[in-house]
Amino acid sequence: MGNITLTILIPLVGMILLFFVPERYTKAIKWLTILFTGSAFIASLGVLALFNSNTFHFQHIESAPWIPAWGIQYKVGIDGISIWLFLLTTLLTLLAAVFSFYIEKRPRIYFAMMLLLEAAMLGVFVSLDMILFYSFFEATLIPMAIMIFVWGGSNRNYAAIKFFLYTFAASIFMLLGMIALAKQHEKIAGVMTFDITAIQTMVASGEFWANTGNLQTLVFWAFTVALLVKCPMFPFHTWLPDAHTEAPTAGSVILAGVLLKMGTYGLLRFSLPLFPEAAQQAVLPIMVLAVIGIIYGAIVAAVQPDVKKLVAYSSVAHMGFVVFGIFSLNQAGMMGGAFQQLAHGISTGALFLMIGLIYERTHTRQFKDYGGLKAQMPVFSALFLLVMLSSVGLPGMNGFVGEFLALYGGFMTAASGNYGLSIIFPIIAGIGVILAAAYLLHMFRQVFYGPLNPQLAKLKDLKPWEVGLVSVFVIFIFWGGLYPNTFLKPMEKSINAVRMMTINEPGKRPSWSNPNHEMDELGNLVTVNNRNADGNVDSSSGVTEVAKAQFYAPK
Amino acid sequence: MEQELFKNIWWVLALPVFGFLIQAFTGKIIIDNLGAKIGRRVMGALAVLPIVLSFGLASQITIALAKLPEEGRTQILTLFEWITVGNLSIPFELRVDALSMTMVLIITGIGSLIHLYATGYMAEEPDFPRFFTYLNLFVAAMLILVLGNNLALLFVGWEGVGVCSYLLIGFWYKDKANSFASNKAFIVNRVGDWGLTLGMFTLAFMAAIALGKDGVEPRWLSYDVLLPNAAAIASRFDPWMLTAACILLFIGAMGKSAQFPLYIWLPDAMAGPTPVSALIHAATMVTSGVFLLNRMSPFFALSPTAGAVVAIFGAITALLGALIAFGQTDIKKVLAFSTVSQLGYMFIACGVGAYWVGLFHVATHAFFKALLFLGSGAVIHAMSHNQDMRNYGKLLKYLPITGSTMLVGWMAIAGLPFLSGAFSKEEILINANGSPLTWYNIPIGTAVFWVALIVAGLTALYMSRMTYMTFFSGQERWRLIPAHGHADHHDEHHHDVHHEDNAHDDHHGPDVHNFFYTDAEMEARALATPYEHHHDLDENHEPHEVPPSMYIPLIALAFMSIIGGGWLFFGVNLSGWLHSAGVVVHEHGHHYSPMEFVKHSFENWIFYAATGMFLFGIGYGWFRYGKSLPEHDGMDTSKWHGWRKAAANHFGIDNAFTQGSIKGGSLLGQLSWGFDRIIVDGIVNATGLISKELGKLISGAQNGYVRSYALIMQLGIAALIIYFMYQMYTVSGGGN
Repeated sequence: MGNITLTILIPLVGMILLFFVPERYTKAIKWLTILFTGSAFIASLGVLALFNSNTFHFQHIESAPWIPAWGIQYKVGIDGISIWLFLLTTLLTLLAAVFSFYIEKRPRIYFAMMLLLEAAMLGVFVSLDMILFYSFFEATLIPMAIMIFVWGGSNRNYAAIKFFLYTFAASIFMLLGMIALAKQHEKIAGVMTFDITAIQTMVASGEFWANTGNLQTLVFWAFTVALLVKCPMFPFHTWLPDAHTEAPTAGSVILAGVLLKMGTYGLLRFSLPLFPEAAQQAVLPIMVLAVIGIIYGAIVAAVQPDVKKLVAYSSVAHMGFVVFGIFSLNQAGMMGGAFQQLAHGISTGALFLMIGLIYERTHTRQFKDYGGLKAQMPVFSALFLLVMLSSVGLPGMNGFVGEFLALYGGFMTAASGNYGLSIIFPIIAGIGVILAAAYLLHMFRQVFYGPLNPQLAKLKDLKPWEVGLVSVFVIFIFWGGLYPNTFLKPMEKSINAVRMMTINEPGKRPSWSNPNHEMDELGNLVTVNNRNADGNVDSSSGVTEVAKAQFYAPK
Repeated sequence: MEQELFKNIWWVLALPVFGFLIQAFTGKIIIDNLGAKIGRRVMGALAVLPIVLSFGLASQITIALAKLPEEGRTQILTLFEWITVGNLSIPFELRVDALSMTMVLIITGIGSLIHLYATGYMAEEPDFPRFFTYLNLFVAAMLILVLGNNLALLFVGWEGVGVCSYLLIGFWYKDKANSFASNKAFIVNRVGDWGLTLGMFTLAFMAAIALGKDGVEPRWLSYDVLLPNAAAIASRFDPWMLTAACILLFIGAMGKSAQFPLYIWLPDAMAGPTPVSALIHAATMVTSGVFLLNRMSPFFALSPTAGAVVAIFGAITALLGALIAFGQTDIKKVLAFSTVSQLGYMFIACGVGAYWVGLFHVATHAFFKALLFLGSGAVIHAMSHNQDMRNYGKLLKYLPITGSTMLVGWMAIAGLPFLSGAFSKEEILINANGSPLTWYNIPIGTAVFWVALIVAGLTALYMSRMTYMTFFSGQERWRLIPAHGHADHHDEHHHDVHHEDNAHDDHHGPDVHNFFYTDAEMEARALATPYEHHHDLDENHEPHEVPPSMYIPLIALAFMSIIGGGWLFFGVNLSGWLHSAGVVVHEHGHHYSPMEFVKHSFENWIFYAATGMFLFGIGYGWFRYGKSLPEHDGMDTSKWHGWRKAAANHFGIDNAFTQGSIKGGSLLGQLSWGFDRIIVDGIVNATGLISKELGKLISGAQNGYVRSYALIMQLGIAALIIYFMYQMYTVSGGGN
């Protein structure tokens, strides 16, 4: 059993063990959860330690037959696109579990659901088989919906059902698309398979979509709509504010931090590499939605009376930047979009966590119940300020790097006139950065500035362990902002490869299952004859260039 | 060996960062342990020291730089790779050249003086270390802005100083007006930053297309890639591309440097403590835009249209700021609008192509405007924090040092010949008048020259108004304010404490998590909170001169205000000095000796015109304000002239923009939110509802909510699957 499977199994084992602990031993349940989420985090660090940044290929692949007759298997592996999301999942779940020491109501099921959720999310990011992916993708719904349903706020029934049905209904399309892909593979190769590396290889050579009419476009949208609902992208976003507002704090942290990224991850994993022509045609409409989402999310966020709803709508805007970057199909833009996923996970996760910390004390999230907290809770306000500024996208903090690169990439694509984009796209998207400052500063002012609301006069500042918890986020905020290369470098080859899988013509696309394909230092696609024992290219035995990176030539 | 010295430039940057960290993490602990008085002294010293050391090191480096031959005066130190993706590489690289070091010396030099002053000004402030945390961080961010060797690092500093400005404007955050002012400053600046970002993207795009090929390091935002290749980059595209890039960069400059119409944040920014106004909102941060234009001058010089735009906006701002200053009664607001106006002056210089003159005025303005702001702070300090000049008068008697240094500042800004301000102002006038800049056959240079000349007169006049109202004008007017007891203040204070008592008891159970203070702890907190003695200004008030920590900086700045202009012009030869850093300078190498210059001045009619404006300002000012406060400018605003009322109200510009965007924005927000709930979400809910009703219809009304949903979904999915399969079927050849 490899490291990846181990990481997925740890929380599952923990979940099963929890059911043997009587409900009344609350402390034991909590510490057991910390133990297992912590172990999963350490196991994921193991995956990272063995990760090779010099290849775009999947690593640590493990596979076992599942339903051979239909070509379904258990196949997992990790590459540059998934590695950080994998770690983000284990980290955020651990931190959310630590926060959840405040949970009093039915802790056993609560923590069991959290562990189940973690396993499912991890599975999503490493599945190389579409049915496996789909199973994990849908498996995240159940624990999350239950968390909202049992531990949520006053309108939790509505929010939980809406969350469940909306995203479930959308992903049915994706399932259909997967079946279509498997069938198409059968038609060409004679056997059904749900293995994306196999399908992508045939896409790369061009034979997969040859003479299929508009099937590619149809299946592309079946995948993409499901994924855009998850992101969520305007106009499919309305489940998010309800789900966030009603979810318990840990649920919101995981929802914003990880679950939304399943959508954008899917775009990078399926929508681009498997449907190159359709994806290029879809750049314009999706960029339109992204820009609308950036502006619209920000404008609606600015008038929210509830601090959690404000952050929820801000997620719509921020995830708009992710999609904007990814669909710029420019290298800097795609890197920015991928980085922004992580940045948003950290900073919005931290915002929800801090809102949770204060909510535990005051049991209100309405702005009118706050004011003047800065003098009362100076440490809390200083930490909140830092997290808020990272969400504003202040240079030196992680939020800046992603937004900057995404906008840069979008600008380059638009200025070159590629894919029918106009320069107006990055110009309008840039306004989203202004608006982000407007609504986030508005939020900060209402909560922390002004005279102290007398209702809050007895509040103590954060406890040391809470400060420690938030500080973990703050460390990553500055790490990502000051030395983003730690996170960019391991992603680079895989992002470059996906970009080439999308924009190059058949025959010049990298293939996930061709071990001789590799990306060189300049971003060009090459074939190599030999690899060293560690998997790196042995350049002494000959490297042939297949396709240029085409960073600068306008199309 | 000298190379080693240049490598030390990172220490110039690191010292304020260390200062910031010390203040942030140890300030509270040290003050709690040493007691307020000694603790604040220690922390004050720890705040000033890094800036002074930084200034010392920067001076040493600058001297070494000046000894190098002109062509070798650009040293680049790459610290690490910051952002690297295949088609864009942004190292963390520092650039030592004449331009950056000039700015570094202004920032750390004036910064040291203002830090010193602030230790006195803020001595009674309970939140002492928080203030210096922000102030040290500001210096660090400002140094990144000027030292960075690429536009992205400039942007780091650019937004960094913006955040410090935001934090310092809102330093006294309990007052809601201050928090609004700080938000406004940041958001308006972000509008400028939007332009700056797009401007740098445009330049990067142009550079990437013009220079990009395999094997070339993609540092498309670095100055050493952009600036030497400006002509090559520009010639690859239609001229409008370059013009667009320059105007976008200028939009960034407009935000930070408070140019019309983005000036509206600067007057409100006076809500911050006065040292902040002097350092950030007069001497350093607001001049970043001029620095940017100097840095990017090889590009601006290639686009006459962009130059015309810069000059026109500069002229509008200069005139508008000067006019509005006449309607202000708050001493800091007068200085704020004066700053707006003088910044306009600097952009006039840049617009007509005399970039170095713009920076010359940055330097001289930094001397005299920092002096005036610090002086006004001393006056405010002496007058129980009353800022209304109509309550002042005859203060020179009480504040001899503050008063006399401020008189020097007044002379410098008004334009007494051969003081620092007159030097740079006259250079601007000469360059504007001689500029061949035309735009659609309109002689822009001549037009802005006349505006600038008028503004010179207005400047002398409104500064005289301020000076006479404060230090002369016949009467100690605060003696007219009747005294009243302090009893009501005391009551208010206690009222607050009582109000706090029964918080939380009503709607919460026992405090199991130990979230709240107990009643005993609340009592202790109330006792520990120092009762702030606050006198209002009234007839019994006796103004006192400020302590040495505050007047030493005043004297130093007064000295620089007198000799700074001449020193930079003759001693440094600023035009040649900046030329070595790549700033575009026309006719450089033309270096006057002081005697030649004086002779030359007396032969130039512009010298007489400018001096005439100076004499008009102080003379007419004396006539109106010298002996007494005239009624048309007095306490009763209903007796004011209409134009002065309009000026007091910024001619409605601020209101139009601020209220317009707040009201319009919130209306748009409410409408969008309504749209979101009723239309976007309405469709979602309607779909759910229809499914539910359909479900009832099919399977009987007793079915539950979820089951009906599930059923109808299954039906829908079945239909979709059939459709999909049909598609597949037809595509794969219709079953053949």
